[in-house]
Amino acid sequence: MFFRTRRLWKKPDRLRSRYDAVIIGGGLHGLATAYYLAREHGMRDVAVIEKNYIGFGGAGRNTAIVRANQRTSENLPLYKEALDLWPVLTRELNFNLMFNNCGNLNLVHSEAAMKASRLNVATAQFHGVESHLLDAAQVKEMEPALNIAEDIAFPIHGAMYHPPGGVVRHDAVVWGLAKGASAHGVHIHQQTEATGISVENGAVAGVETRAGNIRTGRVLISAGGYSADIIHRMLGLTLPISVLTIQAMVTQPLKPLLNHVVSSGAYHVYANQTLKGEIATGAHMDPWPNYTTRNSAHYIKHQAEALGEMLPCLRGVRFMRHWAGLADMTPDMAPIMDGNDPVRGAYINCGWGYFGFKSCAVVGKHMAAFMAGGECPEILRPFHLRRYEQHRLMGETAAVVNYSPDN
Amino acid sequence: MSLMLTCPVCGRRNGYEFRYGGEDKGPRPEEDGLTPRAWCDYVHMNRCAAGPVKEWWFHRDGCGSWFTTWRDTTTNLEIQPPEDSE
Repeated sequence: MFFRTRRLWKKPDRLRSRYDAVIIGGGLHGLATAYYLAREHGMRDVAVIEKNYIGFGGAGRNTAIVRANQRTSENLPLYKEALDLWPVLTRELNFNLMFNNCGNLNLVHSEAAMKASRLNVATAQFHGVESHLLDAAQVKEMEPALNIAEDIAFPIHGAMYHPPGGVVRHDAVVWGLAKGASAHGVHIHQQTEATGISVENGAVAGVETRAGNIRTGRVLISAGGYSADIIHRMLGLTLPISVLTIQAMVTQPLKPLLNHVVSSGAYHVYANQTLKGEIATGAHMDPWPNYTTRNSAHYIKHQAEALGEMLPCLRGVRFMRHWAGLADMTPDMAPIMDGNDPVRGAYINCGWGYFGFKSCAVVGKHMAAFMAGGECPEILRPFHLRRYEQHRLMGETAAVVNYSPDN
Repeated sequence: MSLMLTCPVCGRRNGYEFRYGGEDKGPRPEEDGLTPRAWCDYVHMNRCAAGPVKEWWFHRDGCGSWFTTWRDTTTNLEIQPPEDSE
């Protein structure tokens, strides 16, 4: 037949009673780690345990933006490597990830924010990432639909322009990584909830799931916004995390009018036009922790008001769909990646807030090296959990907007 | 997602009138013999439970009371304290 579909990844037979490594969470970070464990480190038996279906959580709910415009010298190189990985992965997986590097425009609405952006641009240039500071007139030239009038709530003073960033189709990354992982022998078990981790003599001995128990010496909890709850229940660790619902929506399809990913910290909005013509937009987080992944009328109204001021041509345009996901926010706006502390063989990867999508591939690559060798790679070292009790919080809060329930 | 909370003074009010004050972690630790880890636990660390949680709230746009209440984080609904139903 013309439209015969072939499975991209194999449906594994039964849950085996023993694996070399078990990954809890079939999202992008989990799948990428499994892919690199099998591909780069020759691990034969790797299982990904997913409670729902792969890509159920943040992997399928984010707004697909990729960028490397972070603030600190610990974070930026990680995101730069991530950005450079998209074309490599597209070839390696032989799967079109639809990377569109249209560039990011971070709008700046005050002199203080201009100053902060100047620092950001300097950090980027120091690390070899292209980034420029623009004034309002240059912003208007680049993105004519933007309103640079001075009589709006937050007039545009300028912008930070980051040309290498853009958009990657998030579902394609889920499917591509699942395809690649499966081709290297990874078992992807969907509809399989992990219920516990058994520890013997200070080391991981196995994982309990609803489909049976697994003996394994290595387990990674990498379940996006659900990680903090799982890590507390299964390993007894508390984390400096607040889990907030973050909302997103798309408008009806429109003629091409927006050429870049545009974001504004003051309006709490980011927007980009998808290839279908919809304006995909979002950014609001609930001011209280919750796992509802529901939208609120409060924010849909706010979003319409903000877009109507920033991009007046969108006034009267309708929202077609809306959805929400989870953002596990840390106090320093930087993730937590750690392992073998205090339980040998137990690894955690969480606190990715609203920036887990852009980092998934590179984190998978380095977490796989961490799990295979037991030694934390240099690039992941600054992200250990103990930094909070050492008062060594990272400076990412200075970057854009600081989101936390304590605002 | 929307939320309604019961202030001990003003009664049931819209959640946007309140400021979230964090998970209830018990009393502030004693200064004597306080370790960085114990202080960090008190200041930063959360359980992030998906389910019933006891937490602090502040009626910012109201009477200014600080109070604790129970909420189910999976439904965003205020619930009866578990000890009441025992």
